[in-house]
Amino acid sequence: MKNLTKKLLSAGLAIALTAGMSAGALAADKLKIGFIYPSPVGDVGWANELDQGRKAIEEAFGDKVEAVVVENVPEGPDAARIMNQMASSGAGMIMIGSFGYMNDGLKLAKKKPDINFIHASGYKTADNFGNFQTRNYESAYVAGMAAGYVTKTNTLGIVAAYAIPEVVGIINSFTLGAQRTNPDINVKVVWLNSWFDPSKAQESARSLISQQSDVIFSLYQDTPSVVSVAEQEGVYVVNTSSDMKKYAPTKLLASMTISWKPHFLKQVQAALDGKFEGTAYWGGMADGAVSVSSLSDDLSAEQKAELQAVIDEISAGSFHPMSGPVVDQDGAEKVASGTAISDGDMLGINWLVKGVETRIPK
Amino acid sequence: MMDPIIFVLAGTLAAGTSMLFAAMGELVAEKSGVLNLGVEGMMAVGAAAGFVTVATTGSHSLGFLVGALTAGLLSLVHAILVTVFLANQVASGLAVGILGLGVSAAIGKNFEGTTVEPLAKLDIPLLSDFPVIGPGLFSQDIMVYLAMLLAFGIWFLMNRTKPGLIIRSIGESPAAAHALGYRVLLIRALCVLFGGAMAGIGGAYLATAYTPLWAEGMVAGRGWIVVALIVFGTWIVPRIVLGAYLFGAVTLLELSIQAMGLNIPSQLLSASPYIITIIVLAVISRNKTLISLNSPVSLGQTFKAGS
Repeated sequence: MKNLTKKLLSAGLAIALTAGMSAGALAADKLKIGFIYPSPVGDVGWANELDQGRKAIEEAFGDKVEAVVVENVPEGPDAARIMNQMASSGAGMIMIGSFGYMNDGLKLAKKKPDINFIHASGYKTADNFGNFQTRNYESAYVAGMAAGYVTKTNTLGIVAAYAIPEVVGIINSFTLGAQRTNPDINVKVVWLNSWFDPSKAQESARSLISQQSDVIFSLYQDTPSVVSVAEQEGVYVVNTSSDMKKYAPTKLLASMTISWKPHFLKQVQAALDGKFEGTAYWGGMADGAVSVSSLSDDLSAEQKAELQAVIDEISAGSFHPMSGPVVDQDGAEKVASGTAISDGDMLGINWLVKGVETRIPK
Repeated sequence: MMDPIIFVLAGTLAAGTSMLFAAMGELVAEKSGVLNLGVEGMMAVGAAAGFVTVATTGSHSLGFLVGALTAGLLSLVHAILVTVFLANQVASGLAVGILGLGVSAAIGKNFEGTTVEPLAKLDIPLLSDFPVIGPGLFSQDIMVYLAMLLAFGIWFLMNRTKPGLIIRSIGESPAAAHALGYRVLLIRALCVLFGGAMAGIGGAYLATAYTPLWAEGMVAGRGWIVVALIVFGTWIVPRIVLGAYLFGAVTLLELSIQAMGLNIPSQLLSASPYIITIIVLAVISRNKTLISLNSPVSLGQTFKAGS
């Protein structure tokens, strides 16, 4: 049902968009950039972070660019149609903000070699089709260390949507970070098996709290659902994407924030200069794409200094959160001592580290 | 800190409440012979309107009122389409429901991802002091108790009063009711309106008490479960009540089992609320005579006087 509504909505938007774009086409010489988001731009969350990137572009390039945004576009034929309309009405660059836009975007990129595409969270590239992701496992390690410091029950609870490699990698890194500051840590995960159900996310958090978790990790919930429950119940909380301090003013332990701004600005500059290349960008702490913000004041100065030291090491590239020896749940060594996991292995990771109690759903 | 048992007990009543409100409303509409497949959309509109009201005025009672009115207004569209214009009930319900989802997105646009203070919990004196059961069952917000009261009220209305008899007779045979002088279309429209308003309260409960935040699509299919609950509960109030709470209980139990770290595939657990609710309701409803006695004969059919 929701899809059908979205179709109707996006059809309306598409018409408005085409009209708007053809009118704008008269004002030549501007780089027209289309943005397609999978969800509405809220106060916080995924689409909001993408939109912050758009704002940064408009601020930095001013009159040289013109942005057109279509939000809440379901993956599939609607996304394809909106991309095509953007292309045929003069867009020189298109940012497609959801994993499932990948194949339609790539098809269009091959048909229109003069339009540059940047794609969020995919894995395919072409000369004029690049993708971007963030190394959230880096900030997860630091957040895990903080969680290890503050927990009294030695039990951390994670609310996660699906067991995709990206999420599994973040859980591993978070657990390893927590074990560094607190070796007795025990991590529980509730899989929602749903991308979007704030009520279920809240109940999951409550169920984890009722079973001793005193730090909750809200992993890829776009809404402050879990964060606000933690504040109500008086347990610490860590969240992803946006800074959610205002939803848990006393109980937010850390926010693992992301920023697309540096990457977006670079890509737009390249497109303006005619030097765009379709690359697979995986941004981390080193280039400001990933950071840890709003660290709780309940952490002592020494603890904060320790966290900062690790942040500095990760940023400098001298430390990888998944450095060996790393042992999986069954005790098998997955990363040997003295080595770190390769990017390729990290992208396809499908095992959880020792210390995580819950299994990956098979 | 809570106890896992208290978590499931306390959560069950709250989890079932939004569905119970909507289901009682939809039951009355269906008993009068009008199917409303737009419950999901009406809950969404109620949720958005209720949330926006609470966020701007801070008053929860006003939120429920506005939620009920807005969703009621939307259901009026369905009521007029099926009574005055004799539209197909399935098509009209679906269309109005989709409209509702769109309208809810528009109402909540500027509030996407924001939160409000949840509705306060009331402790019932003495009862709430009992260990486990006390905090589990007797420390809820007022709407949880009102939903139960409503369910009893609807049961009483339908089975023990004359207006209930009239509504049922219209659902059984609108022609006969018409011949007796009852204003079939007006009563049907009022029943649909009531259904919409209750769905609105259910939605508002979801967005301002159960999960006090607004995000588009947060009703997340509960309206469809309501429609299914009524069929599986064979239009009998106690069974629908059981179904709503059972669904809530199994949902929470599933999360609790996951949090315990028991090694059961989580996809199976996630499907369990649907599976168990269907099995239980199907088993208790296997008496065919009882089903045919309770399902409104004219459900889904349009009525035109004289035809």
